[in-house]
Amino acid sequence: MRKYSIHIILILVTCFLATLAYRQGGLPSLAQGLLRGASLLLHEIPLLIAAFLTAGFLQALIQKETVTRWLGEEAGFKGILLACLAGGLIPGGPYAYYPIAQALLKSGAGIGVLVAFVTAKNLWSVSRLPMEFAILGSQITITRYLITFLIPPLIGWIAAGLFSHTINNIRQGIRE
Amino acid sequence: MNTATIVLWVIALALGGWAWKKRDGSLKKGGVLAWKTARQNGALLVIAFVIVGYIDLLSPTELIQSWIGPQSGWKGIFLAEGLGMLLPGGPYVVFPLITILYQSGASLSATITLVTSWATLAFLTVSFELPFMGWRFTLIRWGLGLSIPLIAGGVTLLIMG
Repeated sequence: MRKYSIHIILILVTCFLATLAYRQGGLPSLAQGLLRGASLLLHEIPLLIAAFLTAGFLQALIQKETVTRWLGEEAGFKGILLACLAGGLIPGGPYAYYPIAQALLKSGAGIGVLVAFVTAKNLWSVSRLPMEFAILGSQITITRYLITFLIPPLIGWIAAGLFSHTINNIRQGIRE
Repeated sequence: MNTATIVLWVIALALGGWAWKKRDGSLKKGGVLAWKTARQNGALLVIAFVIVGYIDLLSPTELIQSWIGPQSGWKGIFLAEGLGMLLPGGPYVVFPLITILYQSGASLSATITLVTSWATLAFLTVSFELPFMGWRFTLIRWGLGLSIPLIAGGVTLLIMG
């Protein structure tokens, strides 16, 4: 069910927008929206193929084991910085990095390392960068990367300072 | 063929060359992974572009400008944070949607809040986080994360107006 939840939400949004278009201009508007979407998609196909190839080669070249090794034994702020680096470099969506985060949690990583890892994946993501540049453009992408650059290590450090005592409960929680 | 497409093709070909030079099956593995990603996201992409087509057609420019437009300031940043949590899907789906909102008149600070909020707080990501990390971790990570899009949007607003 979760696998298709995104499809369902998107289809509902599409139906909603199609209804709005139909009420505004009848069948011609309904068709016009579809055609406009199709022509935009056709226009972006060369870009999308390159993006998929880049993502595929990155996943093939960067070994998950290497990234896990960098982090597993580290502690303190150095561990948080390494976690940020690993999070930024690791490609793939949440179905790919949460299993890794769980493996780190089970093998003894602290709350700071884990929060830093997830936040760096979200904000630094190198594999998403070409896509972001290509579609959103350089102004938005550069501004966003510069402004959020310090956040992953900072939030990892804050999490370590405030919530270190909860890590055993968290670890037990996922074993239950 | 725009600059971005060319740059991305150069990167893809360079990585492909590296994978080929390693001669350990990386090239084939990369190709298979690329095809898998394309197949997984293909249907979503088509739907997402249909949505983009309709938004473009309806172009609710006035609505977007009054909610998250140049005059919306902090109100726009808070609205963009909420909207970002609701954006469904990965970058292939979300970035075209955000681009069309930006082109329809969303401000730079609200757009950056939107990207950051989607990246850190999206409910669909949380639906993966909960089973893997448990509710305690998710609550701490997501709760601390609430401040991030506000900081990103606020700094953009203060620096670039």
